[in-house]
Amino acid sequence: MVAQTGEKRYSDALVIGGGIAGLQAALDLAEQGYKVMVVEREASIGGRMISLSKVYPTLDCASCITTPKMSAAAHHENIEIMTYTEVKSIVPDGDGHLVTVTRKPTYVNADKCIGCRLCEYACDSEFADSFEQGLGATRAISVAFTNAIPQKAVLQAEYCLSCGLCLRACPTDAIEFDQQPRQEQIAAHAVIITTGFQLNGLNIKPQYSAAQSANIISPLTLERLLAPHGPYGRVLRPSDGKIPESVAFVLCSGSRDRTIGVPYCSRVCCMYSIKQAMLLAGSLPTADITIYYMDIRAFGKGYEQFYQNARAMGVNFVRGKVSHIDVAPPDDLMVHVEMTEESVDCVRRQKHDLVVLAQGMIPQWNPSGVSTVTIGEDGFVATPDLASPCATNVPGVFVAGAAAGPKDIVDTIADAGAAAMVAARYLVRCGSKESAQPGGGRSVRLELAV
Amino acid sequence: MAGPFNPELHVDLKRFGAKDLDMCMNCGTCTTICPMSEDSGGGFPRRVIRLVQTGQQKKLESSLDPWMCYFCGDCTLNCPRNANPAEVMMASRRYLTSRYDFTGLASLFYRNPLTEIIAIVLVGLFITALFVFLHGPMVLHRVELNTFAPVKWVELGDWIMAGTLSFFLLAGAVRMTWWTLGRRDMLRVSPMIFIRQIPTFFAHLFTQKRWARCGSHPSLIRWIKHLLLVSGYLSMLTLVLILLRWFQTDHVYPFYYPQRLWGYYATVALLYPTGDFIVSRLRRKEPIHFFTEASDWIFLVMLFLTALTGIMVNVFRVNGFPMATYIIYVIHLAIAVPMLVVEVPFSKWSHIMYRPLSIYLAGVKKAVADSTGKGSDAQALEPAAAA
Repeated sequence: MVAQTGEKRYSDALVIGGGIAGLQAALDLAEQGYKVMVVEREASIGGRMISLSKVYPTLDCASCITTPKMSAAAHHENIEIMTYTEVKSIVPDGDGHLVTVTRKPTYVNADKCIGCRLCEYACDSEFADSFEQGLGATRAISVAFTNAIPQKAVLQAEYCLSCGLCLRACPTDAIEFDQQPRQEQIAAHAVIITTGFQLNGLNIKPQYSAAQSANIISPLTLERLLAPHGPYGRVLRPSDGKIPESVAFVLCSGSRDRTIGVPYCSRVCCMYSIKQAMLLAGSLPTADITIYYMDIRAFGKGYEQFYQNARAMGVNFVRGKVSHIDVAPPDDLMVHVEMTEESVDCVRRQKHDLVVLAQGMIPQWNPSGVSTVTIGEDGFVATPDLASPCATNVPGVFVAGAAAGPKDIVDTIADAGAAAMVAARYLVRCGSKESAQPGGGRSVRLELAV
Repeated sequence: MAGPFNPELHVDLKRFGAKDLDMCMNCGTCTTICPMSEDSGGGFPRRVIRLVQTGQQKKLESSLDPWMCYFCGDCTLNCPRNANPAEVMMASRRYLTSRYDFTGLASLFYRNPLTEIIAIVLVGLFITALFVFLHGPMVLHRVELNTFAPVKWVELGDWIMAGTLSFFLLAGAVRMTWWTLGRRDMLRVSPMIFIRQIPTFFAHLFTQKRWARCGSHPSLIRWIKHLLLVSGYLSMLTLVLILLRWFQTDHVYPFYYPQRLWGYYATVALLYPTGDFIVSRLRRKEPIHFFTEASDWIFLVMLFLTALTGIMVNVFRVNGFPMATYIIYVIHLAIAVPMLVVEVPFSKWSHIMYRPLSIYLAGVKKAVADSTGKGSDAQALEPAAAA
């Protein structure tokens, strides 16, 4: 599976990012017979979606949708997945692109590792688990998470004590402390950027971060709290493990705000907050749940009904933007808001046990320095041609999902399919006639002039 | 405008300085962050912005809310849309000033700063002309200011000017009272309520004590500077209107004599704050100084120059330069008089009346509401429903 350093390999398409967008695009291309490589920065594919609890508006289990896709992609004969790998440069080369990637050392021989986790059980070094948003602990050598793909251990050198316990525990002698990062070159005809989004931090707005409370949490943290296989197995608030009796969702806390440079709407916060409120109402039946909103943007199919259901369930919707949050000693939080829909007693202070900030979506990856792909004012990959929303300014480089702008899962999957379609069209136009026949199962095999 | 709505109100307000008004999406961050809003029961700045956006001119004219704001700038710093709510409040005050004024001059000056400058120049030229043609004998071997400009004539001029200004200012105050107390409803208010609230008016006229509570640290410092300015201004008025015969004299008193000390105090109390405000507005460090309208510049510069020429008259007089004294005296009056005539009734200085009056009227309204048992003043808090 692993090529030697310096050796150049060929692929029809290269997908950057193994989240739901990347997997969908890769599967759609692979099903048409094209060879696809998926480059993933993390130790497992699955992206953001695999860490979610449930998805709106159907309240389906997120893992139940993502895991089959991950598995299908990992086992597809036309798809090669490279995890723990970062893209260093994308250089146009004839009709295609020469992509240089760095494969970060996992210190585990992937061919030998059988995913038995004996090393993980043996390891003595624990640290906060980023997959659980820091709520649980993981070990210096571990499989990324329960349903990670590939099920291969990764050793994180910065936390490793070099004690050798894992070496002794490993039944296949897969652990290689002497691994080095190595570069590989891939000649790919089409490139699809599906690098997704990140959230813009709990501290971005001083009005909400002054409290510095452990009980002001990210929505992704709440996803883990709500997930059946989450860190606590139930919803507890982080500071003291109390079962929250009053939870507030503060919408638009990281977007639609010019003071923090995110003037656009993140599109998903209204809906996932409603979803989380519904799930909370299920897991904490006696809790008061309040959503502070400016306007509810329930734009998709079935979304408005979903919103109305939440209202009917007793979720309290308050129109008004929270101006700031204080600590209400010892551990509670005081939310300040103007009740803009009421006639008297306008400004209200409301105490909550737990506050969820609906943070803004910002791009995960900036292609500058790696590629000549341009980004828009908002930092997301620019798609200059309105008639071709997946095309970037570079021919043969496409973009899908939240890398091009805030999107929810439904739109991301549709977008990924569209990107696969335009990429396939590009491959047909540029590739040899013979290889471009549908169902041919053959690679375009570009001859790149290097 | 027919009826209570004026669809062009927001366009109007932009001409008074509220340039980013349309950015507002009424999220209410400003109201919540405002340190004054809750105590005043107003729900501002958002509701004031809402009144403007929905063109509710009558309601805006009868609102005291704009005067409850002292421009600490917290709302502008926190506004997620950069709509600059504090500047909208400022523009509303300018707008209200122009509406209270029945002559239409205030409106003209605010909308077109050039007319204000022309008015000032004209009045200045008029004053200069008065002295050029009507001055007394010029004694050149020693300073005899009272021969050049006899104090009794100057005093007469002072009183004529003060009477005129008071007339316009009081006319504005009457219109403000009439509108804000609900027009005809005002007639039903017991006179005792008006009388009992009078101490409020003077307390706020002299101290602006609410301002000290407004916003964060810089506001407190600005309040102290402003207090200094007010004391200087009132000193100047007292010396010029009441004590002119004692103040404008050819006799040179010793340095420690109250007449000189008081004059120096007034000079410092006028020069330091105005100079400081001019520098701050040039540097634009605080939200209050981000935008400076022409009316603000004219006001500050004129006040600064008045104090500067005033002290120069004193310097030349004490040191015995007769011609220089006479010339700078004329310049001094050619700056001070137009400043007072134009600025006090028709421009920025009218706040000296409207600000304390608004707090007085708010007190009256509250007393009326309490006496009729309506609870809090529901009138001011009527929901700003969309048109």
